[in-house]
Amino acid sequence: MKAYFLFALKRLLQLFAVCFAGISAAFFISHLSPISPVDSIIGRVSGRSTYSPEAIRALRATMTELFGLDVPLWQQYLNFWGRFVTGDLGPSLLAFPTPALRLVMIALPWTFGLLTATIIINWLIGNILGGLAGYYQNNRFLKAFGIVAIGLQPIPHYIVAFLMVILFGFLWPILPISGGFAMNVRVAWTPEFVLSVLHYALLPALSLVLVGIGTWFLGMRALVSNIVTEDYVTYAELAGVKRPTILFAYVIRNAMIPQLTSLAMTLGLIFSGTIIIEQVFSYPGLGTLLVRAVNEGDTTVVLAVSSIAIIAVATAIFIIDLLHPIFDPRVRVE
Amino acid sequence: MRTLTTLAVAAAVAIAGFASGAMAQDDAALAPTMDLPRNETLIINNPEAPASNPDSFNLWVAGSGAANSNGLHQLALDTLWFIDPDAGLDGSLYNQLASEPWQYNADFTEMTVKLREGITWSDGVPFTSADVKYTVDLQASTPGFNWSAPFADAIESVDTPDDYTVHFKLKKPNARFHALFMVRWNAAWIMPKHIFEAQADPKSFNFNPPVGLGPYTLHSYDPNGYWYIWEKRPDWDKTALAIWGEPAPKYIIYQSIPDVDKRLIEMVNGNLDMIHDLSPEGMFNLAKQDENARGWFPGFPYAHPDPTLVMAIFNNQKAPFDDKRVRWALTLMLDPVEMSMASYRGAATLSAIAMPPTGTHTDDYHGPLQQWITDYELDTGKSKIKPYDPTVGTQIANMVRPQFGDAVPTDATMINKSFGYGWWKKDVKAAGELLEAAGFTNQGGKWFKPDGEQFKITINTFTDGVVNRLGTDIAQQWTLAGVETTPVADPVIYGTTLDLGQFDVATAWSIETWGGNPDLSFFLDSWHSDYLSPAGERQTARNWQRYSDPRLDKIIETMRVTEFTDHEANVALGNEFIKLMVDEMPFMPIMSFNVFSAYDTRYWTGFPTAEEKPYANIVNNWSNSKYIFTQLKPAGN
Amino acid sequence: MFSVFRDLLRYNVEFLIGVVLVGFITIFACLSFFAPMEPAMVYVVPPDQPPSWQFWFGTNSRGQDMFWQLTDAFWNSLTFGLTVAVISRIISIVIGMMAGYLGGIFDRVFMFFADIFVAIPIFPILILFYFVLRSDLNSFNLALVMACFGWPYDARLIRTVALGLRHREFTRQAVFAGMSPVKIMFEEHLPYVMPIIFSTAMANMIWSIGLEVTLAVLGFTNITIPTVGTTLFWANNHSALIVGIWWWILIPVVLLVMMFIGLFLLAVSMNEYIDPRSRLRRMGA
Repeated sequence: MKAYFLFALKRLLQLFAVCFAGISAAFFISHLSPISPVDSIIGRVSGRSTYSPEAIRALRATMTELFGLDVPLWQQYLNFWGRFVTGDLGPSLLAFPTPALRLVMIALPWTFGLLTATIIINWLIGNILGGLAGYYQNNRFLKAFGIVAIGLQPIPHYIVAFLMVILFGFLWPILPISGGFAMNVRVAWTPEFVLSVLHYALLPALSLVLVGIGTWFLGMRALVSNIVTEDYVTYAELAGVKRPTILFAYVIRNAMIPQLTSLAMTLGLIFSGTIIIEQVFSYPGLGTLLVRAVNEGDTTVVLAVSSIAIIAVATAIFIIDLLHPIFDPRVRVE
Repeated sequence: MRTLTTLAVAAAVAIAGFASGAMAQDDAALAPTMDLPRNETLIINNPEAPASNPDSFNLWVAGSGAANSNGLHQLALDTLWFIDPDAGLDGSLYNQLASEPWQYNADFTEMTVKLREGITWSDGVPFTSADVKYTVDLQASTPGFNWSAPFADAIESVDTPDDYTVHFKLKKPNARFHALFMVRWNAAWIMPKHIFEAQADPKSFNFNPPVGLGPYTLHSYDPNGYWYIWEKRPDWDKTALAIWGEPAPKYIIYQSIPDVDKRLIEMVNGNLDMIHDLSPEGMFNLAKQDENARGWFPGFPYAHPDPTLVMAIFNNQKAPFDDKRVRWALTLMLDPVEMSMASYRGAATLSAIAMPPTGTHTDDYHGPLQQWITDYELDTGKSKIKPYDPTVGTQIANMVRPQFGDAVPTDATMINKSFGYGWWKKDVKAAGELLEAAGFTNQGGKWFKPDGEQFKITINTFTDGVVNRLGTDIAQQWTLAGVETTPVADPVIYGTTLDLGQFDVATAWSIETWGGNPDLSFFLDSWHSDYLSPAGERQTARNWQRYSDPRLDKIIETMRVTEFTDHEANVALGNEFIKLMVDEMPFMPIMSFNVFSAYDTRYWTGFPTAEEKPYANIVNNWSNSKYIFTQLKPAGN
Repeated sequence: MFSVFRDLLRYNVEFLIGVVLVGFITIFACLSFFAPMEPAMVYVVPPDQPPSWQFWFGTNSRGQDMFWQLTDAFWNSLTFGLTVAVISRIISIVIGMMAGYLGGIFDRVFMFFADIFVAIPIFPILILFYFVLRSDLNSFNLALVMACFGWPYDARLIRTVALGLRHREFTRQAVFAGMSPVKIMFEEHLPYVMPIIFSTAMANMIWSIGLEVTLAVLGFTNITIPTVGTTLFWANNHSALIVGIWWWILIPVVLLVMMFIGLFLLAVSMNEYIDPRSRLRRMGA
């Protein structure tokens, strides 16, 4: 137990270090952006009426000071961390003075919901079907599924999503292709709202499942088809243990562990895929917010979204790491 | 038995009545769904991205992130005058909150406005001159509002002799001061004094829900900023728009649909009544596929010509674009027919002069100047040429006729209006002579600058749409002519690239006019050298070419003391300006910005059309598109 | 290495299919050198022609012959994918082998950085790079940037293998014989790591080409360079699917999927060959 505690502590320290380094990197990269939010705002303001050069200089000075951009970069960096530890990610520059965190919080549930739901579907169904396919290697349905999976999973997210829009929005228009819920539904915890959210999430989720499920299926199938040749499986079969018991208790359980590690490692990539899906379906989430913020030079929002994403991914990896020794007694702390 | 039945019915009615009473008393916010009958609802595509700050409606504050064109400035806000980009419902000038046009004193240092009586804010408070004074005083005295600088620059003082009169004293003579309150795309909107006064900090105030002077109020909106639903005020007749009729739709929805193809899909599926813009191919296809859908013109070229001139803007503060021979040489390297086909697939309206070929401008300028420009001579240093080709429009019409047949006009006047009066002839030899005169040398088909470096250009263009295609085509044509050109799809061309002068050449526009009036002040006033920033510093709208000339300053100064309504004097100034621009070519005029706006008549009819009712702008992020709603009729579906 | 290749061809049908598919696309891409016109040029043939004997893949709305345009697009996409793969392989081999062989502080520092790179969402960062570099973001620069993000998973894999090799008998002998660590790593250990490098390289190409497609489709690359991504960008720009110019989208997508399946099968069969239990970590990302 003490060993596990030490292991957890070490991992926790690592989590903080990764978050700190990752967010710092995001800070400096986002401040590389040549699009100054001050210019962005002056552009909008002075694009609609005439400003004398002096008036522009005055407005620039006001805005720069207001946004705290009038100090050197290292001081902005210190200020950023000073605020960050108190949970303040600073004001959004393009929705001034709305806190950037507030915009993130509006978007977060959408991405979180879509992502969690599809990851669970992909991981569970992909692994179970993959396990079955590895165990019952002559099943025709599972064989066919394997071929489809090989064909689907390398297609970029964008193309799958785009084909979904054309297919179910245009050629056979039966599903909504943009937004998070219907316009005539009020945002509240009512069955109508929940159903509408599910209805609007169908196509984005379907796209993510189509691209994502094959990876787990193929990985699990390969793992299981190796495990079934192991001696202990053969003994169990000879001993008359029921096949489903063998499959789930002996085979899939063992194969789940590397698949769990895999999940942790690919979370960041899955998040990138979701950003694209959100773009195609105009789905209200972190991805849409992020791309818009990048486009308009809103550094605080870019930084807020990246920070939240880094913390979320790193924490997820941390939790999976913690669970690891529990699932797999073979994993011992070095 | 009968008594029993009667009792039962009475009980049922009573219960039903009680129940519905209870439902009605129930807070409306608790009803899980809202009733938006399709036949009473108009759904409009807002072309802009979803609002950066969905909860804010305070569009007076610079950088608040409040959206303009989500219905807020079309349906809820109002100001003194509106001007139409086309003929208008009853002339192109609309008196909105003002009951009559502006009155200047003799030397244009004072302006008096009479306000309409009987107008109320959507919360029932009467609108008076105090609101106008508050709007001006607050913004002029507090930096950080959108109209702070223009107000502070121009206005000495504002006073209100009575509730319905406003009197402005100006800092210097300006016959165009009223334009600050005259809406083309937008203008200075009047603020509700009684609401803002109660705020400790009007700049951090969200103004949610907005209290406005328009006939609609906010009904509900998407917390993510994708759509805004507006509902007609019961007292809509107490607004200025009521003069033009009762707006027909009970509900109007503005929905952001960033993807162009999805707009078409939603319209075909019956979920959208007005589209802001499509790709040319999308428009041609929609017209074929959806019998209820149409554009501004009944046939080819479909698109609404905005009073906006698409041009290749040279950065005149950057060598070698500061040399007019180079600017002219680059112009003569281009084939206008190819540019029209490549960008608009022929549905472009070309213009060789610095004036959008739209609205009333073709009658005021393009037609009358045709002879002068045909005779125009250009000295290349080695020879004298007549660079203008008046047959370009006919060439394009003949080229698209096989594909679109009868939809293409045959009449010469219509061809001129649809495809343009003409453009500069492609003349690579003359272009070479001009470059050589400027000290350039041609080595192996490539042009080298006087300093021996190869002449390479980066051309900044839009990220998509027709202007993007135009920029890419120009790059190819210049490259083929020996000037290696790279096009860059630039998402921040406005606001950053143009403003900061970080470009060689850009396809965009610095000329936007009123459309229905020959006056040029809308863009030209800002071209005065007083507003020109030195290289590397931010330039104010709209002199993106960073060009200055004492002759140009003189035109602008004369304009500032010429009455707006003096048609003849303004046309004369316009001609002077156009001829100067042809001589100097500080930017290359190309075509009007034709917008493939479409509308569907399944649920609503009465939209403006080019042939019968040319008014307002079906390009629906313009706030003057609100006049359309007063003309709509339910289609009965 | 050659005998491995021969065995795989003989006994592994997946590998065979992979070789055929990737070979086909490579030959197709090489045809770009025989193109009768500059493939990036627009308005050189009549627009919107469906596939025919004259134009095998049809022509698009920009007046380009899709056959020749796509040979060039695939050439550019392939070279791009290969560049990313080669550069990121170099990074991952160096880091992975050093972390695995040297262990200790090196291991911890390298893997710490790898973990950071795993957690940072790459897509927004690529968009930021687009804004910083703009027209300078040519294929090579983009490949450099992506290579800097494409190594951590594979470095971890290589590290695991190197970790195992460190405790093997022959390593100890080499150390006793006085071989330098660099020599041990690159002469003794590298051959064992080669198959994994090959298989991760295939997966890496799928990843980088797929990401390039996505960036290009959204307009965040230099759209004048023909690639599979920019081909789709221009098709969307002209509403190709909506107006029925289906060949402009369908043909590149089919070719792309063929290439991806080919690369994928190569990676999988190679993976199975080295270590039947190895996980298909990066597939389809």
